[in-house]
Formats: sequence, structure tokens, C-alpha cells
Amino acid sequence: MTPFLHLSTRLGLAGGVLALAFTLPVDAQPPREDKAKEKAGAEFVFRRADANGDGKLSRDEFEKFIERGAAAKGKGKGKGEAIIKQLFDRFDENKDGFLSLDEFKKFAAQRGGGMEKGEKGRPKEEPATNNAAFNDAPTAEQLAFFEKKIRPILVDQCYSCHSETAKSIKAGLKLDTRSATRAGGESGPAIVPGEPDRSLLIKALRSNDDNTRMPPKNRLSDDVIADFAYWVKMGAPDPRTGDGKSAAKAEIDIEKGRQHWSFQPVKDRTPPAVKDANWASNDIDRYVRAAQESKGVKPAPDADERTLLRRVFLDITGLPPTPEDLTAYSSDTDPQKYAKLVDRLLASPQFGERWGRHWLDVARYGESTGKSVNFTYPHAWRFRDYVIQAFNADKPFDQFIREQLAGDLLPAKNELEKAEHAIAAGFLALGTKSLNERNRLQFELDLADEQIDVFSQAFLGITAACARCHDHKFDPIPTRDYYALVGIFRSTETCYGTINSIQARYASPLVPLPNTVPTGTAPLSQNERESLERQLKRLKSELEDQVKKIGEKESFLAANGVRNRIQIQLTESKLAQYEADGTPKRMAMSVREKGRIRDSAIYVRGEPEKPGDIVPRGSLQVITPAMEPIRQGSGRKELADWVASPKNPLTARVYANRVWQHLLGRGIVGTPDNFGVSGQTPSHPELLDHLATWLVGHDWSTKQLIKYVVTSRTYRQSAKFDAGNHEIDPDNILLWRTVPTRLDAEVIRDSMLAVSGKLDPSPAQGSPVAGQSEGYAQQLLREAGRRNSLYESNHRSVYLPAIRDNMPEAMALFDAADPSLVAGERGNTTVPAQSLFLMNSPFVIQQAEATAERLRSMGGSDADRVREAYRLYYGRLPKDQELKAATEFIASYSKNAKPRDAWTAFCQALFGSVEFLFRQ
Amino acid sequence: MLTRRDLLRGTASGFGYLAFAALANEAAARDARGSTNPLGPKPTHFPAKAKHVIFLSMAGGPSHVDTFDYKPKLQADDGKPFSKSRFGGGKLMASPWKFNKCGDSGLYISELFPELGKQADDICLMHGMHTDIPNHPQAYLQMHCGLFQFPRPSLGSWVLYGLGTENANLPGFVTLSPPVQNGGPANYASSFLPAVYQGTRVGSAGFGRAGGFDGKVSNLTNNRQSTAQQRAQLDYLQSLNRAAADEAASPGVEGLIESYELAFRMQADMPRVLDLSKESKATRERYGITGDDRPGPGGGGGRRGGGTDTFGRQCLVARRLVEAGVRFVELTRDGWDHHRNLREDLAEMCQSVDKPVAALLADLKERGLLKDTLVIFGGEFGRTPYSQGTDGRDHNNKGYTMWMAGGGVKPGLDYGATDEYGYEAVAGKMHVHDWHATVLHLLGLDHEKLTYRHAGRDMRLTDVKGHVVKDVMA
Repeated sequence: MTPFLHLSTRLGLAGGVLALAFTLPVDAQPPREDKAKEKAGAEFVFRRADANGDGKLSRDEFEKFIERGAAAKGKGKGKGEAIIKQLFDRFDENKDGFLSLDEFKKFAAQRGGGMEKGEKGRPKEEPATNNAAFNDAPTAEQLAFFEKKIRPILVDQCYSCHSETAKSIKAGLKLDTRSATRAGGESGPAIVPGEPDRSLLIKALRSNDDNTRMPPKNRLSDDVIADFAYWVKMGAPDPRTGDGKSAAKAEIDIEKGRQHWSFQPVKDRTPPAVKDANWASNDIDRYVRAAQESKGVKPAPDADERTLLRRVFLDITGLPPTPEDLTAYSSDTDPQKYAKLVDRLLASPQFGERWGRHWLDVARYGESTGKSVNFTYPHAWRFRDYVIQAFNADKPFDQFIREQLAGDLLPAKNELEKAEHAIAAGFLALGTKSLNERNRLQFELDLADEQIDVFSQAFLGITAACARCHDHKFDPIPTRDYYALVGIFRSTETCYGTINSIQARYASPLVPLPNTVPTGTAPLSQNERESLERQLKRLKSELEDQVKKIGEKESFLAANGVRNRIQIQLTESKLAQYEADGTPKRMAMSVREKGRIRDSAIYVRGEPEKPGDIVPRGSLQVITPAMEPIRQGSGRKELADWVASPKNPLTARVYANRVWQHLLGRGIVGTPDNFGVSGQTPSHPELLDHLATWLVGHDWSTKQLIKYVVTSRTYRQSAKFDAGNHEIDPDNILLWRTVPTRLDAEVIRDSMLAVSGKLDPSPAQGSPVAGQSEGYAQQLLREAGRRNSLYESNHRSVYLPAIRDNMPEAMALFDAADPSLVAGERGNTTVPAQSLFLMNSPFVIQQAEATAERLRSMGGSDADRVREAYRLYYGRLPKDQELKAATEFIASYSKNAKPRDAWTAFCQALFGSVEFLFRQ
Repeated sequence: MLTRRDLLRGTASGFGYLAFAALANEAAARDARGSTNPLGPKPTHFPAKAKHVIFLSMAGGPSHVDTFDYKPKLQADDGKPFSKSRFGGGKLMASPWKFNKCGDSGLYISELFPELGKQADDICLMHGMHTDIPNHPQAYLQMHCGLFQFPRPSLGSWVLYGLGTENANLPGFVTLSPPVQNGGPANYASSFLPAVYQGTRVGSAGFGRAGGFDGKVSNLTNNRQSTAQQRAQLDYLQSLNRAAADEAASPGVEGLIESYELAFRMQADMPRVLDLSKESKATRERYGITGDDRPGPGGGGGRRGGGTDTFGRQCLVARRLVEAGVRFVELTRDGWDHHRNLREDLAEMCQSVDKPVAALLADLKERGLLKDTLVIFGGEFGRTPYSQGTDGRDHNNKGYTMWMAGGGVKPGLDYGATDEYGYEAVAGKMHVHDWHATVLHLLGLDHEKLTYRHAGRDMRLTDVKGHVVKDVMA
């Protein structure tokens, strides 16, 4: 692979040649031996391209060079002629028909950006700001020149008036950081790169006028001035970083940061050879077995049929197999029956309810703002349904990413697809919000921060939000990169609803949906409407009376005056959820482009009071290939494409790791939301790359990846313990058995409902939060009476309302994800409160009663019923001694209780048993 | 085939029963009673000064220079540039509050703690605290577990493992409304220690965000079954579980079995202990239990809830738990992360804890419980003497104050010091590891001997570090 290609991906290409960049083989990391050469950068590339060695590139040489790169990828050949010509003409500044080394360097140095600040996203013909031609890829010699000739003069002669530490900064000009130097002062930019004669800095140095000359007291020597002029001509290469407010700041070494394993390109290798070749049933097993062999660990025997059946049912659908499933499977003689079963489960609607829930954990799905005032999101459920449907439809994960980050910007076939995309983009709107924040800018920055936090962790496994106040402490993410992202999200309007009220002042619009989508809640009847309107009228007249009596201001301060106003707002908001005929309004939480697209300032230490440099919108430098230059709008589209690119070293790895974790109990990377330096390193790095490659190669199909994993022999191992293995690897990092783990909260609840026969397998329509006001969730909870009444439902747990800071008990107790946080991994606690729930909660007792009823109504002997119970709960028949113990328990308990209660006690005991609560 | 018992005998680490056996052996060696109950009281390595711990965890990093670390020079140099600030250009910010010389000991305590100031002669201020990372998740975990890089048992779990508990009918380690963030359950997890040593949560997690402390453990009663019936049911259930455990060889399974037994016993004692209605009106008022202090409609508190009700309830429950024999009680007050709006928010936060904490100390003392109850107050780090914005302070891990009282601590002592501005610990330096070692020592445990074998190593709370600070001991 030619180094140029690598270079092109790192540097990005100018706006007009975007199309070319798509055709270039951008994955190419130079082979190791080329590393040293690569350092020589553009010069090295230039020499390679200069076929006849005359020190300049002819049009022909340049074209061949570009074409060669395109051909290496096997596509795009011949397509880019016009673009190449355009590119050549642009950089051939002196129009001599050749690219000189300097001209070529400018081409190479041209980075992303390309968008003007503050304008409506019109692509520029020419770089309008000077930044474009600043030398951002200086050679070692150029930097040495700066250190030797320029920096000492700046420090000695200029800093006393033009730096952060100056007593007073003159003319608003600071020369103590690169960004400040380039930004200039009150008179405008100090430097026009490449053009000393037009640069104010040089003019001031050269001036003979005492009033304008700098430094004012003594003119610098001609040599020194010539050095400055030369420096400007080079594009003012400058290694100094800083946020424009401080001079003494450690620099993040991006290039060094890229050496971290997860920023390196994904490598697809040949699976390792294993001695125990017969064991492996697919390549996953070869990677796993090789690691085991290297440590002297041997795999557990395969799980028996019914254990595996139960495991794969729970993992794929989140429900246990029914006795009928069990019978059908054990009587099937097809040698491919396991694969067939996996296909069937993946095709069942229950799959999306299970795997959609995994994603909702990561997407921090919730139906209220959380935080201090906690207002409801009555339309959030549409996102939940979208996610479930996306998994059931096996939407390619890259498309899933694009829809969630930029659904509003994607082309849609029809109105319904457009609606789906809008709902998907609700991903960015669902987060927690401090609606009582006093400072509007703070709120705006917090909103962008939350969006950056969720998208960077969810898709990239990177905690980019850490770079808000200072360069990231662990990862190579400078604050500048963070604010490049902030610009994108601040140019995006987040539509999340809510109302303005006493403590909330950030109501936003929602996006209307066509009337072909479901409403999600019952219509408002005429009676209900009249009742609400009466209530409203009463509240208003009470308030009027009070105002008349004690005055507007006093009433506003009086407790009942405040309550009254809030009640009015809530009632009005509830009425506003319905059309005039009572049909619930169809709305989506979503995002859209703001009318005003603009870059964001860096806020020094995250403080809204301290805006620093404006940074062009963009992404994280450390992740290569770089994002495409933003052509129009906020840049979210480009961001989504960058994240969803198969070349992004993080995205496929992070997602493959999530899938693996849900099936094997532990991620290959144990910190699924943090692949950065402070995260854990992968236990099987080559396997992770293999899975990532496999995922991309199979059109980002979640279902296919799941099937690939669950048909591996690694997955099919039993839980059999081995003392020797345990000695070597007590934590089972090498996957030498399946460690029994407690089921997820939803699976426990859903399994109980399934066993009792009470489960309503149909998807719940909408949410109890739908059709409610967009105000205090507290109000809804009060109206729902006892907190639990809101959660009384026989639908699967994924459909339970997700009001933040008010999780249903059955979920919270068993470590369901907190909807306020990105949670790729759940806790797995064992605490007495869970035992108390299993022993005493009304829910568990009700399910036990229903199951007892189910068993008793089937007739037969006690032994028959116990057998059926074992099939229902455990997917197997009891052993003789188990049967005996069960019937004895029931008989003994019946001595002092009604048979019905004895059976209930028996059924409840099985709900609390390890075999029911654990996945073996 | 290897049975579970073989496994437990034959391997070096892992499961509950193994731990029971190891503990039982250790206990037998130290004590003739030879208890086999993992939660039964255990003899100490040397005579203990404290038998119980109440840890008042101030999540978010309270500003020491505005509360317990008086810096006259900081007051004098308000607005001057501070060269050591992390990004340069920081300016010193005097505390907006006065410090009072309190009690006979003359400790300086900020006017933000008027009530606690009256208890100055009982507390020992430790000004030389420092921790590794000025970042919430890491520092909060380090404060609890010693390390943040890997999952490790919490301080409370180690204490329970080392000492057992005095009341087998209550969990030995209780945490009241712990935070959801910054590691969440990892901060009261037993990690590789058997699950029986995990903290038991009372009240919903993250009350700092949800508001209010319900002080409840739900599902404590069953009106469908008599105790005898439930016991019979549990015996049947546990027979199933023990059979399953033989095959599973999993710490989670062992933990479940143990947790049923504890839950069963809790039903008898817990409701009584948590029932604050048994306390007199005077006591309730003393702790500041006045009603609702949630922000929002109906609540009287400020943005952060300046009301004392929530924390008052927690403090009173803590006293009752300790009284009932619980070994380690942790209380959390979240919301000390004052990057902005310090003047208003810090005042509210202090107000919400001052009266309850003072009442707790006084009450423990009157009941003769303070002498063997170690009370600890502090957060994961302190804050900078230089300002962030015009009205805030940034995280500071280099020097901050925690205080301890009771349980063998030298009362009325000003121990250790930060530099003249309160930026960096310079005297009596106490790393989190040293503090942990000292806490264990007060409880009669040698931090180098309190070990648990995991992954081939004898693990400790203090890893390979930690020095006992005897100077703070009476």
C-alpha cells in the first residue's frame, strides 16, 4: 500500500475532492517497515510520486499517483479524472503546470474543515479563513526553526504585553499559544499564512512608525524580522497548544495516542492453529482453544441438550422454552436441529424484545428527564418500539447507527420510513436534562455534553465527554476535539418536548408524525375532555380570585398560588396531547438541523463564562480515518458516516464485544463502554478483531453474529467445574466453562409470567406515560396511586414505563440498567433484598398462585403435577428423589394449610430456586 | 467426579463455603469458639478500640477550604494568581465564610457547620488526606475499595469479613441510599469476597437525585404464611439450591443461598430497627427530621435541598442500626461537586447535614455508643483553593480534610496540614491507603494480615501499601 493513501486518510481532503476520498482505499495502514519512512510525511510521498525525479510533479505524475491509490482498492479507477484535475489546478498556485514540493505539502496539509463559521453550511470554493493554509503538519526542521528563531523572540519581546500572563493584554492580541496567535487581536488576524507582506505581525515588526511598530521601544534586527517573515511564509508552523487562555499546558500527543490498541485498525488474521483441532466447530473456537492451550486449560464437555436448549432460549428470546418446545426439540432427529432452532428463535418477535432491551440499556432509554425536576417524555416509547423493530428486522448495525445519529438527514422511501428515521434520531433527545438550570448557555452545553457522552460511549466505547473541561486525562482527546463535536450538536436542534413551568424553562418542540403511525394510547373521550376543561376552568377562576384578593406578585409567592399555576400548566399540557377530536397527537422526540449552523467556542474549563477559541466542527483526531469534511449543515451526517464506517477501528469492535458479552457473560473487553486507555484490555484481542471483521463482512447483521457465536463450541460448553482449570484461571477468562449467572431482571419477571401462564406475549401499545402531560412525572406517579399500579402489566418487562429515578422494584432490585446512564454492563448483585422480594412480594406470590392454579387444573396425580412443574420451570423432568422431595413437601405443608396454599408454596419455592433464576 | 466439597477443599479460592471454612479455621485458631457462621463475631488481631463504623460519605468532593481547613493566607490573598493551578491562570478564592475557633480544643470550623462546631472537642480533623486521581469515578471507588483499576471489596465488606457481626438477624454491612454513579454497587460490593459480605442497601439508590430517604426495606413481611410455614418452604427451597450449588460451583449461587437465610432472619429484626416512629418527638427534631425537604413542588428545600429531613433520617437509622449490632453503616449525601454556584449550593449542602451529624455524635455519646463507634466524615477528594469561574472550585486530590470521631480516635485533634492555601498535603500526609489501614487498626485488624486469597494472591484492602497513623489514636 502506498503511504500516500494512508496520509490521505489522516489528513483528509479539501472540500471539492470529497468524492475522490470515497474511492480511495482508506484502510491502509502502512506496513511496519514503512513506519520510519512514513515519518518523513509529505516529502516522502512527494518523492515517490515524482517518477522522473525532477523535483516537481507533472500533471501526469500526479494523476498516476492518485489513480494508483484508487486502483489498489480495486475500485474508483478512472472515475476521478475531473476531480484530480480540479485538485491539481487548485494547488498549482503559480500555475506553472507543476506541483512543487511546497505546493504538494499544502495539498497534503489541507485538513477536513472546509466549512465557514456561522453560515448556513454552504461549501466553500476557497478557504475563507486563514486557518486553511496554516502549516499544521510541520516537519521536524520547521519546528526546530520555530523553537530556535521564533519562540525565544516571542517570549522575550512580546509576551509582556501579549500573553495570558501579561498585566494587561494589549490590542486583544496574545501570542502565547498557536490558536491565539493565529486568531489575532482587535486589528484582525496577525498572520496571513504564506504571505508575510499581508501579515499584520510582520508589518508591525517592519514598521518605522513609532506608533505602529512592534515592539514599541526597539526595532528588532532585520535578521530577526526576516526570520519571522520566513516563518509566516512556511505557514507559521507552531507546536504550541493551549486553549488560548493559558500558556503552560501539556500537549496531547495524538500520534502516540493512536498506538493504543483500540485505535489501531482492525486486523483480520488467519485463525491460529490448535493442537486440539477436533474440538473446534468454527473459527471462534480456534481462537478460544489456542488461548486455552497456551495456558494449559482444557474446555468443559458440551452442555447436555436440555441445558443448551434453555440457555439459547433465554439468551435469544429472554424466555424459557415451553414444555412443547422441549418435546419438539428432543424428538427432532435432524442433525441440523440446533441451527434450525437458532434460526427460529432469531426470527421470533421475542428476539427484538430481548435484544432491543440490551440496546435500550446502552441508549439510556427513559421516559422522563430525570434529574432535579423530572418531567415526562410522553412520546419516548416510540423510540423503544423502533429499537425492538430494528432488531427484529435485523437492521444492519451501521444503518442503525446512521438512523440514530442522523435519521432526520437520511433519504426516505416514503412517509413511514421518514417517520421511522425521525423516531430513531430520538436517540439524541432522550437523555436526562436539568430543566431548572438557570443559565441558558449552560443548559445548551450540558445538552450537547450528554449527546456526546452517549454517542461516544455507545458506538465508540470512548468517554469523550471527559474532555469538556480539560484535555482527557487518559485518552488522547484534546478539549479542542470535544468542542469540535459540541459545534455539531449545538448546530442541531434537539426536540424533546416538556413544558415551561416554575422550575422548568427549556420546553422544546416535537416532530409531528403522519397519521399512519399508531397513536400509542387511547383517545380522550368527550367526558374526559369536559372533566379536564372543567378542572381547568375551576383552577383558573380560583387563581383569578386569589390574584384579585392579594395581587399578582403575592399570589405568585403564595404556596397555593404556585400549586395552582402548576396544576393549570399540567392540565393544559395534558389537553394539548390530543387533537380536537380526542385522537392522541402523533409526535416524535427527535432532532433536526438548526437554522443557524455554527462552530462552537472552546469553553475554558467547561465554564460558560469563559469562551475561548472557536473550533471548526469535526470529530476526534485520534480515530482514523478522519471524518469527511462537512459539506453542509451541522455535520451530523458526516459524523454518523464516520462512526458507521467499516474503517472506524472502534465501532465494529465495540458492537461485536457487546454481542459477545450478552452471550458469554463477559466481554472480551471487560469494560464494554470504555475501550480507551483507562478501560480494560481485551482478553482475546485477535478474536475480537475476528468478530468485528465478521460482523462487517456479514452486512453488520446482529442476527448472523449471534448465530455464529451460539453455534460455536465455546458457547455450547457445560458449566462443569474443573479444579485444575480453576487453579490456573479462577475467573474463567479463558472460557473453559459456562459460569452459571443470575438472569437479568426482565428475564426473571418475564419467565415467572411465562410459567404462570399470565404472560401477554403481544407487544404493549404505547406506554402509560403516553397521553399524559409533559410536566412533573411526580404528578403522574401520584395519580397512578400506589407507585406500583403504574407497573401492573402482564406484557414483557421491556414495555414497563421507564420513568427515571423511579424504576419498578422488580427491575431495580435485580440490577436493571439505570436509565440515566449509558449502561453496557449491568451489576450482578446478590443481596437479601432480592431474597425478600422472592419470599414476600405480592408479584411473586401472585405468579405462584397462578402457577399453582395452572397445575391443579390439569388433573392427574400430585406426581404428574410436579413433573409438569419441572418441565415448566426447568425444562426437564424431575429425578426420582426430586419428585419424592416435592410431593413430600406438598403433603407435609398441606397438614396445616389448604392444598391450594401448599401448591402455591411449592410453586413459589421453585421461582426462588437457583435452577430457575440462573442461566446454566 | 469432583464434588463441590472436594472443590472447596482442594482449591485455593472461590466460593462462599470455602471462605466459611477458611474463616472458621482462622477463627478456631484465634478463638476456642470456632464459629462456623461466616457472619458470627470473630476475634480481632489485637484489642479493638472501635466495634462499629458509621461512614458519612460526602459524594462529590466537599470543599475542605470552606469547611474544615482554615487558611488565613488564602483569605488574605484572595484574587491573586496561583501558579500551581492545573491549567495555569487560576486565581485564589478566599472562602466566603468565616471560621470559628470551636470548643476547648480550639479547632477551626467554618460557620457553615454551627451545630457540628459545638462537637469540636469530639472530632479529629485529618488535613493531610490525599488520593490518586481528581476524578469522581476513580476517587470514589478508591475511597471505598482502595483501588479503582480492578473490582475490589469495599471497606465495609472487609470489615465485616474481618469481624463478623454481632446481630445475625441483620446484615452486617448496611448502606443507606448509595449513589448510582461513580461505580454504583461496586462501592458496596464484596467483589472476590463471598457475597455474604456485600453491603445491603436500604432505601432506594441515588437519593441525591431522586430526593428523600424512605428508609425502607420492602417486602419485609408476609401475611400469607406463618413463620413456621415460611421456614418449611425455605428448607425445601434451600435443599434444591444446595443440590444445584454442587453442580454450579459458582459464587453467585453460594451467595443466593446465604442471602435467603439472612433475609429470613431480617424479617424479625429489621422492621423494628427501621421504625423511626418509636423515637421521641424531641429526638426526631434534634436530628432535623421535620418533614419533606425535597426540592420541587411541596418541598421546602433549595435546589440541592437545604432541608435536614433526608439526612436526619439516615443518621437516626444509622444510630439504631449500630445500636442493634450492625458492624458497618454507610450513609451517603450526594451533591458536593461545586464547580459553580458554590456560595449558594455549598451552604445548602452543609445546612442539610450539619444538624443531623451533630445530633448523631451527641446522641451516640449520651448513649455511651460513641466510645466504640468510629464515625467518619468525608468525600472522595477536596476542592481547589483557586476558583473555577467566579463562584466555584475544581477537584483537588492533593490535599483535603476528612474527620473521624469516637471509636478510639484522639478527640479535639487537628492532625496534619495542607500548605498555606490548602492546596497540597504537607504534614501528617495520609493517603487513602493509610486511612484504610488506620480504620482497620482501630477496629483491631492488622491491614497486612486481613487477607483473602484470590487469583493466587493474598489480597488486602490496602494492596501493598498503607501505614497505620497512630498519631490520631487516643
